[in-house]
Amino acid sequence: MTPAIEVRNLWKRFVLRHNRAETLKSRIMGVFDSRLRERRETFWALQDVTLNVQPGETLGLIGPNGSGKSTLLRLIARTYYPTRGSVTVRGRVSPMLEIGVGFHQELTGQENIYLNGSLLGLSRRETERLYPAIVEFSELEDFIDVPVKNYSSGMHARLGFSIAAHLDPDVLLIDEALSVGDEGFQRKCQERMQQFRARGLTIMFVSHNLRTVAALCDRVCLLVHGKVEALGPVDAVVSRYQELTAVMTSGDGRMLGPELPSRSGETL
Amino acid sequence: MTAADVVAHLRYRDLLFSLVLTELKVKYRGSTLGFLWSLLNPLALILIYSVAFRYIIRIQIERFTVFLIAGLLPWGFFASSATASTISLMVNAGLLKKVHFPREILPAATVLFNLIQTLLALAVFLPSLFVLRGSVPWTLVFYPVVLAIQAVFVLGVALGLSALTVSFRDLRHLTEVGLTMLFWLTPIVYRISMVPAGMQAAFRLNPMTSFVSVYQDIAYWGRPPSAGDFLVLAGWAVGALLVGWAIFRRRAPYLAEDL
Ligand SMILES: Nc1ncnc2c1ncn2[C@@H]1O[C@H](COP(=O)(O)OP(=O)(O)OP(=O)(O)O)[C@@H](O)[C@H]1O
Ligand SMILES: [Mg+2]
Repeated sequence: MTPAIEVRNLWKRFVLRHNRAETLKSRIMGVFDSRLRERRETFWALQDVTLNVQPGETLGLIGPNGSGKSTLLRLIARTYYPTRGSVTVRGRVSPMLEIGVGFHQELTGQENIYLNGSLLGLSRRETERLYPAIVEFSELEDFIDVPVKNYSSGMHARLGFSIAAHLDPDVLLIDEALSVGDEGFQRKCQERMQQFRARGLTIMFVSHNLRTVAALCDRVCLLVHGKVEALGPVDAVVSRYQELTAVMTSGDGRMLGPELPSRSGETL
Repeated sequence: MTAADVVAHLRYRDLLFSLVLTELKVKYRGSTLGFLWSLLNPLALILIYSVAFRYIIRIQIERFTVFLIAGLLPWGFFASSATASTISLMVNAGLLKKVHFPREILPAATVLFNLIQTLLALAVFLPSLFVLRGSVPWTLVFYPVVLAIQAVFVLGVALGLSALTVSFRDLRHLTEVGLTMLFWLTPIVYRISMVPAGMQAAFRLNPMTSFVSVYQDIAYWGRPPSAGDFLVLAGWAVGALLVGWAIFRRRAPYLAEDL
């Protein structure tokens, strides 16, 4: 079967700018005086990641902070661009990357639903058709005319998930999105995701909540320092992660944490 | 760009309009006077420059206010688009990080928004211009064509500036300073013929000089522009679009991660 998401030998390098953002001034001064030149370092956030997600499969993505999970989802959503390797996605993608991102804070919930619809390539009429269901699912009827800047973070998450969940995507990318919702909404989202699985959607799901991951996923991928540490059945990978975490907390405590795991050493 | 790209861009037409509508809403929300506020700035400039140049400097231009309006509104379209474009990607960092869509749409929305503002200003000031002038010059039929060419030019500038400002943040302040200087180097409050002969050639290297001169021809002098004039304007527009788009395309894949 052709995979719905195909990640092949994917490498992603970031440039780390140690002195704030680059300016024209620093670039010009740097020509004359090397001390004024910005220190720039590169580092690999993802290294040689290869994985396939089959149509209808739910793949969990776990790993410590800074291990590259969000980066990988953004590469799949095509907002980041691969340094090397390739990402192929078949079907319409509905990204749910981090809460609140993608909302215009000055606009109301309603206006944001329409803006998000057109961002994801829907026509106004298509969004109009989906609008009632989105609002009902979010349970934000009373706040739909309030600017989003006045929403709580859980309300952001509700709106975001509701939009992503109603766009009728083929591929759903979810990053941490559910964790700030209250108990009731989280359960509702999980039910919804189960429905999606039943309907044959392909889902990629990032979470630090291993119980949710175990409940929802067919397979799990463990990322550590930008590399695929394990990929396979839920139980095996989750317990491998727990082992690693146990080593971390008993040892010097910095084996997994967000450090610069693989400075490439190049100075640009 | 392939045919498939064009189709993909057409699908995002609604997004362009949503973004323009968003800017309009955010700008005018909560003010009952609404878009009248956006007329305040050109009105203030027209009043100040009229007083300064007619009564204090006593510049030798008949019906100075008409002359001024002819050049000032197109300049305003250029300058406010350029200023807004430097932040158009940064204020939308959230959208860029979350969703893949043709990035060109953001600076394009900025230009379209400013074009709408300019049209509103024109709707108010052009009639008053003809009251002052005493008649409506027939050459005004060229106005939409010239404005369309200018919009292409402005789009090119906006594409280039918006992408470059993500890499070089201080470009935002440089743009403001540069625009202030360029305003005085463009014959808006004086006539190009008042510039010393030796410097005129240098002044004509400024694209806004070419645009403003043609606007003054059609709205003040009542002179039809020549084919050569159109060629020059089109040249600037196509040139700016090609350069601006090339810069933008080069940076587009990395915009989300650099923001
Ligand atoms: N735009 C960027 N520019 C520079 N570095 C970046 C950028 N985005 C991510 N990184 C770096 O890449 C690494 C991986 O980040 P990422 O956000 O993918 O981690 P994560 O696994 O999602 O972590 P968390 O569990 O905390 O969400 C981090 O070291 C981060 O600093
Ligand atoms: Mg993350």
